[in-house]
Amino acid sequence: MRPALKRLQLIERHLLGHPTATEAAAWQVQLFTDPELATDTEAQHLLYQGLQLAGRKQLRQELDLIHAQLAGTARRQRWLQAALHAVRRVLPQALRR
Amino acid sequence: METTASLRHALLTDRHRTLTGLYQRTFPMVRRHVQQHGGSAQDAKDVFQDALVIFYEKAVGETLVLSASVSTYLVGVSRNLWRRELARRRQQPLTGLTEEHAERLPELESAETSAALSVLDYVEQLGERCKSVLLAFYYFQQPLEQIARTHDYRSVRSATVQKFKCLERLRAAVRTLFAHDFAR
Repeated sequence: MRPALKRLQLIERHLLGHPTATEAAAWQVQLFTDPELATDTEAQHLLYQGLQLAGRKQLRQELDLIHAQLAGTARRQRWLQAALHAVRRVLPQALRR
Repeated sequence: METTASLRHALLTDRHRTLTGLYQRTFPMVRRHVQQHGGSAQDAKDVFQDALVIFYEKAVGETLVLSASVSTYLVGVSRNLWRRELARRRQQPLTGLTEEHAERLPELESAETSAALSVLDYVEQLGERCKSVLLAFYYFQQPLEQIARTHDYRSVRSATVQKFKCLERLRAAVRTLFAHDFAR
């Protein structure tokens, strides 16, 4: 991976991973020696928050779709039941003729 | 009763089918409760979907604790969300929430929310493939093996690299927005 991607990976491990005590100590040293690391970490944290919101939005859209599909199925079942009921009412009269 | 591990597995491997099954089994109970307590079918849909989002995030994040069936859990959370919403509408203090199901979606601080909402706009502008990879990993928490398979990457390593490339693109787009904050 390119160095820029490795840096994203390093920050991700700090933000989302479970760093060991040694890794946490090394992170503190890196913060001290790399003045841009804190800013980059803050920026990446914000990206994850935005992705969380985007994920919720997508999940909501998927749930809306499921709702619409189930409502459509229920409507079709109600229509079918009503149609069957009407046929049952008419059928004996027709057979009598 | 489903275990949290089996639910998590089902959500990760076939989210649509798993959520459809839960929706079909549970939503009628929630709708009945909400309509019997002063709400509409739309209110019922809103609180139930909030409950499902809470459930999804807890299940895949491995923080879900189930003491009964998942339907019982969802009805409990929905009832409390509806009680909370009713109290909000009537501007009354909230009483009588059952501790077990008093769940809420974790909210961001207001300053963070506006910044995160701006990031959300940029996520929407990423290409469909990048957006899909990032959401699959960071929100839906799918394993990289699965992401590699569903997005036709040759290996987990390719999927990992692609994920970071997409994150880099998002960061570059966001950087222009927050240039003063992220100035380097």
